[in-house]
Amino acid sequence: MGDDTPSLESLWPCFQGMIPAAISTCSRDGTPNISFVSQVYYVDASHVAISFQFFNKTHRNISEHPYACIMFMDPRTLQAYRMRLHYERSESSGPLFESMSLQLQAIASHVGMSEVFRLRAADVYRVLEIERVAGFTRLPEPPPSERADPLFVSHELAALRVIVERINRAELLGDLLDGTLQLLDEFFGFRHALILLAEDKTRKLLTIASRGYPANGVGSEISYGEGLIGTVALAKRGLRLAGLDHSLRYARAARDRADRLGGLGQISREIPLPGLQAACSQLAVPLQARGRLVGVLAVESRDPAAFQAKEETLLAIIGGQLAAGIDQLGRESEEAAPLEPGRPARPPASPPATRLRSFCFFREDDCVFVDGEYLIRNVPGRILWRILRQYQDEGRTEFTNRALRMDGWLGLPELKDNLESRLILLRKRLEQKCPDIRLVPRGRGRFALETDVAIALSERSN
Amino acid sequence: MIPQPLRDLLETGVSVMIGTRDQALMPECTRAWGIRVEPDAASVTVYLTETISRRTLANLRENGRIAITCTRPSDHTACQLKGAVRLIRPPDQRDEEHRHRWKREFFSELVAVGVPAELCEALITDPVLAVEVEVQESFGQTPGPGAGDRA
Repeated sequence: MGDDTPSLESLWPCFQGMIPAAISTCSRDGTPNISFVSQVYYVDASHVAISFQFFNKTHRNISEHPYACIMFMDPRTLQAYRMRLHYERSESSGPLFESMSLQLQAIASHVGMSEVFRLRAADVYRVLEIERVAGFTRLPEPPPSERADPLFVSHELAALRVIVERINRAELLGDLLDGTLQLLDEFFGFRHALILLAEDKTRKLLTIASRGYPANGVGSEISYGEGLIGTVALAKRGLRLAGLDHSLRYARAARDRADRLGGLGQISREIPLPGLQAACSQLAVPLQARGRLVGVLAVESRDPAAFQAKEETLLAIIGGQLAAGIDQLGRESEEAAPLEPGRPARPPASPPATRLRSFCFFREDDCVFVDGEYLIRNVPGRILWRILRQYQDEGRTEFTNRALRMDGWLGLPELKDNLESRLILLRKRLEQKCPDIRLVPRGRGRFALETDVAIALSERSN
Repeated sequence: MIPQPLRDLLETGVSVMIGTRDQALMPECTRAWGIRVEPDAASVTVYLTETISRRTLANLRENGRIAITCTRPSDHTACQLKGAVRLIRPPDQRDEEHRHRWKREFFSELVAVGVPAELCEALITDPVLAVEVEVQESFGQTPGPGAGDRA
């Protein structure tokens, strides 16, 4: 397309459906056809869509010979434009279909014809050529200053909408956390990201979900005020750093400490914070629900210019939604739990497990090791121990959050304690360290223990 | 023969769009500035300005296949005519008189649906070529089920 060729975006007034457009097609035997369409829909910079409501000649023609020519007008000046199109596909579900369908339904319901005007499909065409039809009107084109494109939703805004909608649909905390990281990656290219939850009592942040790292790092801790993430938690403000000196990176501090401990021959009880090798920029935003810090969302990149004001804004918006979701799902996790106690396990149907996993519980610091390696400690450590004991002693495999909550030995506070997040942490640590033992969610407030191995339990007083 | 109801529609200030195709069957469309049903009720004349209809005229000279859709803006009553071009010629006095009447009615239709009159007046509807078409098929095209049925 030459310099004089208008872009599809610049034709935004033509997409308002104020003046019907005409579409011409041709059958395979060479008979042209022309008809009016009420509206041409903008899909993206190189595609438009037309509603397919009735089986008509246009629809038959494009299935035989997938080309069309559309002429439509700018309602401000009556300047005409032609588009030459190639039919690509028909969508009968998805966001484009839904939005076109809703629009048609709204119009049709005004005249009591909702059934008749049902959208069968959104026919999507690739734009091959756009022509400003010279000699159509004597009026000059409106100056470019009026050519803002209020009709089109930018990619970022559209993606934000999808993410926010999905965040609001998540019913389980784990799905919310992992889903958000996946969407951030898919829609905005935040490949390396982590979510940490705030623990006000200990003034620490605990990694609960991560994406784009070889080890998930779930369970790793960082103190308020420590590094970029800790600073963000303390200040409750977003922060981005670019062109980082290696020695300054927040992740390294925690990792070095863990390495040092290991190097001294002690058994490391630190989980390293996930960190990207040679990261050059980092961005973190606080997760706040009604002013209360619930966590931090952090991303990093090897590109020194990856994070600018735009990325910070996007992350802040998503962070707000995420925080509300964490807050709500954390509180709701037990409300829907069934009251029935856990059922005894069925006798194993598969051949008895030949492999053995040895778990050791250190009473003094509620720490659990598996096969001599640190697994988890504190409340999640006690929860795991309780689950494994009940499995071992009673053959129980089904558990509810409510029962855990009422278990005096675990010492969980009645309220305000995010049990669900502790279970996620436990689940992910198991995935990382012994994937043959799993905690599988069974809907809100319930989960099951699944194991492919035999389990041996022992306890020690450090 | 164009049925009487369609002839009545075509006597009003209808919006006229033309569909054609080239040798490779690539569709083209353009706007015509008026339509007249001939007394035999089996042919029509449409009026095209060369500036906006170059490809259309080239297609018509090459293969003569034409589709014409006419819709009345105020009520969306519409029809489509298909046929073959008989002759492309400069307009005569009778054409001009008809065209001016059509233009007046078309513009008042547009104003009736909310288009400002000054936009209508700025449209370049001259000079035209008269395209005589022998109508082979005619269809009702008012939106809704049954659109496209033979009239």
